[in-house]
Amino acid sequence: MELQLPVFQAYRGSEPPRFASPAELECAKVLDYYGIAWEYEPRTFVLEQDEAGRVLEAFTPDFYLSEQDLYVEITAMKQSLVTRKNRKVRKLRERYPGVRIKLFYRRDLERLAQHFHLDLAS
Amino acid sequence: MYLTAAELSHRVREMGAEIAHDYAGREPVLVCSLKASVVFTADLSRAIPILHAIDFVELAGYGSARMGGHQQIRVLKDLDLDVRGRDIVIVEDVIDTGLTLNYLVRTLELRGPASVAAATLLDRPYRRLVDDLPVRYVGFTVPDELYVGYGFDIDERYRELPDLRLLNL
Repeated sequence: MELQLPVFQAYRGSEPPRFASPAELECAKVLDYYGIAWEYEPRTFVLEQDEAGRVLEAFTPDFYLSEQDLYVEITAMKQSLVTRKNRKVRKLRERYPGVRIKLFYRRDLERLAQHFHLDLAS
Repeated sequence: MYLTAAELSHRVREMGAEIAHDYAGREPVLVCSLKASVVFTADLSRAIPILHAIDFVELAGYGSARMGGHQQIRVLKDLDLDVRGRDIVIVEDVIDTGLTLNYLVRTLELRGPASVAAATLLDRPYRRLVDDLPVRYVGFTVPDELYVGYGFDIDERYRELPDLRLLNL
């Protein structure tokens, strides 16, 4: 299903973002509302390669907040199902120690939804 | 119960003394961000034994009924005072992502104050999206729960409770 996109003011990417879920769209709208410069999936980090240099595992965080130099990954999965994502974030931090990334869990999204009256239904 | 009225009062008095020490001879302006921080601001003001002013600002939070279809944050109630050359202490109920405070700081800095700092009753630093904020005074760093009382509400109820209580939905 194609998500209806508003005109973003603080979006700094060159291509229109193609959000994977309504939760991502809602987060983008909140960032935009508060004037936080953001990009959507601007960089893929290689986490593992074989000896020939082929990429075995990679990770593309959802948002990059350029003024904060912060990547944000959001997940609406239940806490019990986020092990794989946690592992990716941990690997990214190990392999790219200078990169700042924050993982927003379902509970964080629910708190934001309560605070900002978001519609996170997927 | 999360924090009793006595515990809140004790910590607020400590914060007031700290602010009075830091701003001695400078007559700062407490900027209360409506509405939840009203109770905290009133107590904090009375705990600061130096000359200071109080003013109020209200922003249209995302998703609020007063957002009015706007896609950018805006000021609903602006300051009455001219803050050029003044020392500002923004008084917040809670700092979470830092999005609101970041906007308020940037907006006030455009007015040429001598300095801008923030005092918050509650802090949730683990969910911060904007780190570069002048948060100088923190009452309590709190777990990820919902609270009512001492100015915090649920659907405009329970702000009047003298203590801070956990809300179980």
